[in-house]
Amino acid sequence: MATKACLPRIVHTPPRGIGRSILLTLPILLWSLLMFSHPQGAAVADRLSLIAGAITGVFMTVLFFMMMRTGTTYRWRRYFFVSVGLLFPVGFIHNIVAMRGTMGIPVEEMIAGRTPFCFMPIPLLILPAAFTRTLVFPGSIVPSGGASGHGIAAMVGIWLALTLVMGKGWCSYACFFGGIEEGVAALPRRAKIRKIDPRWRYGPWAVLLAMVLLSLALFEPAYCMWLCPFKAVSEYVAARNTVGLIQNGIFVLLFAVLVIALPLLTKKRTQCAFFCPFGAFQSIFNKASVFEVKIDQARCKPCVLCQTACPNLSLTSESVAHGEALLSCMKCGACVDACPRQAIVWHIKGTEMAAKPERARLMFLYAAWAMAVMFGGSIIAQGLVTILHFLPLGGI
Amino acid sequence: MAAFVPFGEALAFGLASGPACMAACGPVLVPSLLAERTGIGHNARYLSVFLSARLLGYLVFAAVAWEIGALAAFLPASRILLMGAVNIALACVLFWYAYSARQFCAPSCSSSKLVNIDRKEDRGAPGAAALGLLTGLSLCPPFVAAGIRAAQLGSVLQSLLFFTFFFAGTSVWFVPLAGMGCIARNQAVITVARMTMVLIALYYLSLGIAMLIGRKPYGY
Amino acid sequence: MKLRAKLGYTGAGLTVFAALLTPFLLYGLFSDGFAALGLHVDEMYSGGPKIRTIDKGAYSITVHRAVYPHMLQTEKPFVQLDWSPVSALPAHVSDLVDVDGDGQPDLRVSFEVPKDPKAPLRVDVEPLTPRFEAMRNAGKERFSRLIVRVDNSVLVRVPLASQ
Repeated sequence: MATKACLPRIVHTPPRGIGRSILLTLPILLWSLLMFSHPQGAAVADRLSLIAGAITGVFMTVLFFMMMRTGTTYRWRRYFFVSVGLLFPVGFIHNIVAMRGTMGIPVEEMIAGRTPFCFMPIPLLILPAAFTRTLVFPGSIVPSGGASGHGIAAMVGIWLALTLVMGKGWCSYACFFGGIEEGVAALPRRAKIRKIDPRWRYGPWAVLLAMVLLSLALFEPAYCMWLCPFKAVSEYVAARNTVGLIQNGIFVLLFAVLVIALPLLTKKRTQCAFFCPFGAFQSIFNKASVFEVKIDQARCKPCVLCQTACPNLSLTSESVAHGEALLSCMKCGACVDACPRQAIVWHIKGTEMAAKPERARLMFLYAAWAMAVMFGGSIIAQGLVTILHFLPLGGI
Repeated sequence: MAAFVPFGEALAFGLASGPACMAACGPVLVPSLLAERTGIGHNARYLSVFLSARLLGYLVFAAVAWEIGALAAFLPASRILLMGAVNIALACVLFWYAYSARQFCAPSCSSSKLVNIDRKEDRGAPGAAALGLLTGLSLCPPFVAAGIRAAQLGSVLQSLLFFTFFFAGTSVWFVPLAGMGCIARNQAVITVARMTMVLIALYYLSLGIAMLIGRKPYGY
Repeated sequence: MKLRAKLGYTGAGLTVFAALLTPFLLYGLFSDGFAALGLHVDEMYSGGPKIRTIDKGAYSITVHRAVYPHMLQTEKPFVQLDWSPVSALPAHVSDLVDVDGDGQPDLRVSFEVPKDPKAPLRVDVEPLTPRFEAMRNAGKERFSRLIVRVDNSVLVRVPLASQ
């Protein structure tokens, strides 16, 4: 434990100059213009899409500017991520209800292949597809109208591309559910529960293994049918008997506990850290990602501030002693920003430790923020379109 | 030569059904193998005990069903009741297994009767046997189909031999699982295995209860 | 600069480049590549491929190939039949259906067609061969045993009898 006598020497980084910050932000501004300058739909929707796109583009650009100006990442990224988490259900639920009148998926929609595909079942589909060339999901590979959206292939394509770029950074820049609990975890000033058994970190791997095995045995997306807490804010299979009601009850309970209650008590992303099987699956791709977070042992005086700051429990005393974060690191930047001695840095694999860490940070941020603007930004814009759609009319 | 034909059929049927059998046993076998200690030899021995007990389950069921004349006409309702009871028993064994594996320790100390990571002793057999027997009794669709075919044979001995050859065909698919012995066992792997067992046990428990009370074991 | 560092920076640069390429190339490449893998949605949901169409004058009945469960799916094997277009169906439908195309009817399928498209459907199926199971006043019981309206068609799934 750090005493007054051995408090770490605080290193203050002066803010980057405004001119230089603007210069570094210009590529993102241009990228945002490119991404949001193509409205779709009828004339009214064009106007709304343009307005929503402009708001989103400015929002994303300002956040990136603040990242450049302050030299910190986590706080500004969190504003973006929470916005995605809050606005995704707005746009999604509105579209679903507009199309079929209910959040519940009727069996007709499943037969017609019009169940929207989210990224969560991806790891569950692999083994059944390997054995039988069959996708155990009631969707469509290519768009088939209605709520099928862009189809399974489109989601797999975007997931693959984003994973190639960010590895498990998906969980900090792309997941359209994680922002909800990140926002909830940010609400309390202090955590009421501070001691968490570190073995709970293995929960996502257990859920992944169990769901993969059950999905193969039962030939259904077991996680979607039984355990996904985010069915509470998207859609769910319409219950037609007692078991269906129990399944829907489980979703609501898991959402209430893992996404609301525990983040409020612990200030951690508990659903991600202790439960999400997709997160465990994404951790594997961190091995292939060229960007990582490293700890400079020469600068580190173990004060555990980084461990306290990490929302995913991806730093332990052992991993810090080894100079690295665990495989579950979501590249959110919380530890980097929290370290008073700048001992934790962004790092490109193969390069010298702490050699121009800001260069590594910039390269990662350009890649990740470009993805964030493209994917998360489109979700924010869609949510804004929904809100703007109602504003002049005053309701549905 | 004609007397061998059904058994060649049994072997081929077993080979074709292997993926389904592995999928059926996977949720039970994979986490329990992971909770055992490292070593291909140890995992292969565990697998052998599991498969032998599974075969015993098949043969016991086949013999009993043949004697009571129920092999070909095992009613769906009776089948569901038996499966419900077996699923609950499987859940109980998995819960106990997960609890027993709580002590991951250095090779020199011992743990519970079901799971032991002590290099000197090899006492994982009771767990493997219990799980193997129960999965053998769980009446997965390939087993039921094999049972219906076996019921057409002339004697209980032929029926038992048919099941044995069918079992041999399915077991070929299980051999690669011994490779799980290559995975290093540490606190992370053991904890994941235990948690997985609990989750799967919860699923089997809910499935078993739903079957016993006559509810459809699906929501849609 | 050491080779490893050069490789590292090259990888980082390529990653940034990949990010920029994503909306213009990579996304489409990966999506099309996945679609080209030849995978298909589980026939328990999709109903299996269409194999025959029976012309009934104003409407037709499409017969799908029988769907069999995979692994431990609890569903029964079934055959899906589609009546379309719904707008051309009489108020009461009662058709003899030759499923296997041997010239002999295998099923009699009867259902009412309500004017309200959202009204629930009920079907009676009388098997004329032992291959199929009977259905009495069946609705949406399970994937292998149901009647639903999807777009401009009425879909009936008849389970195959255990053999």
